[in-house]
Amino acid sequence: MRKFTREELKEFNGKNGKPAYIAYRGKVYDVSHSFLWKGGRHQALHEAGEDLTEGLKEAPHGEEFILKFPVVGILESSTDLEGR
Amino acid sequence: MAKVAREMVERSGVDVEKLLELLIKNAAAELTTYYYYTILRANLIGLEGESLKEIAEVARIEDRNHFEALVPRIYELGGKLPDNMKEFHDMSACPPANLPENLTVEEILKVLVEAERCAVRGYTQICNMTAGKDHRTYDLALAILNEEIEHESWFSEFLGEGPSGHFMRRGETSPFVSKFLK
Ligand code: HEM
Ligand SMILES: [Fe+2]
Ligand SMILES: [Fe+2]
Repeated sequence: MRKFTREELKEFNGKNGKPAYIAYRGKVYDVSHSFLWKGGRHQALHEAGEDLTEGLKEAPHGEEFILKFPVVGILESSTDLEGR
Repeated sequence: MAKVAREMVERSGVDVEKLLELLIKNAAAELTTYYYYTILRANLIGLEGESLKEIAEVARIEDRNHFEALVPRIYELGGKLPDNMKEFHDMSACPPANLPENLTVEEILKVLVEAERCAVRGYTQICNMTAGKDHRTYDLALAILNEEIEHESWFSEFLGEGPSGHFMRRGETSPFVSKFLK
């Protein structure tokens, strides 16, 4: 499985036709096809190409929404590899 | 725009541009839901479906009311609605409540309840961001949230998730939001 550095992940921000990837608990998910991640932007508050593990703690939903998206890699140097 | 009203919100520490984007996205969700519910309601047919038409209709009308109640607040804070209806649809805070492929009453109910749950999440977020800071947006978002929670519980009752705990509306719609529509 592909390993992403934080720097590499930034490329996948969903802008200008690029895929939208988000990291959550050490795994990288492809949310490009989500209606709610158009242009790599989610609910005015979050952007793709980032590790959003912390952000989810403040969100009005849990991880169940993330886990249904395809995993495309793992995030290097993530301190949390407990994600499924 | 209400210049001082906006300034008060900014000074309380709320990121007004982000708040406006959320308000516009949720207004888009309301108006598009009003449209999609028109189609869903029309497809609630047969012995089972017919009895749900009434709550689908109340939820539909209240969502349009939510749209109309949000718009003045968006302009007061210096925001605006997109000129283009398609753009507005595509920026919605909730996914389109499309007619399900399998047109059973249960599948339609699931679409309805998911749409309400998305709305409950959205207004909870706006309440969290504005509580104790932007009093007027909070008051409005809370009024809408009260109605969204009722919508969620009406539909979930029919999915076998237990009693909603309340009666149908008697006559008037939007008991919480109507003060913003007068
Ligand atoms: C605090 C800000 C956030 C807000 C207001 C928010 C709001 C929402 C809402 C309303 C939904 C739709 C839920 C439904 O259909 O009931 C949603 C879905 C989703 N959210 Fe968030 N969320 C936030 C943060 C996050 C974060 C930090 C992540 C990632 C770590 C995330 C990932 C997702 C995903 C993947 C979906 C599902 C999209 C789909 O099914 O197409 N959200 N969010
Ligand atoms: Fe609504
Ligand atoms: Fe609703």
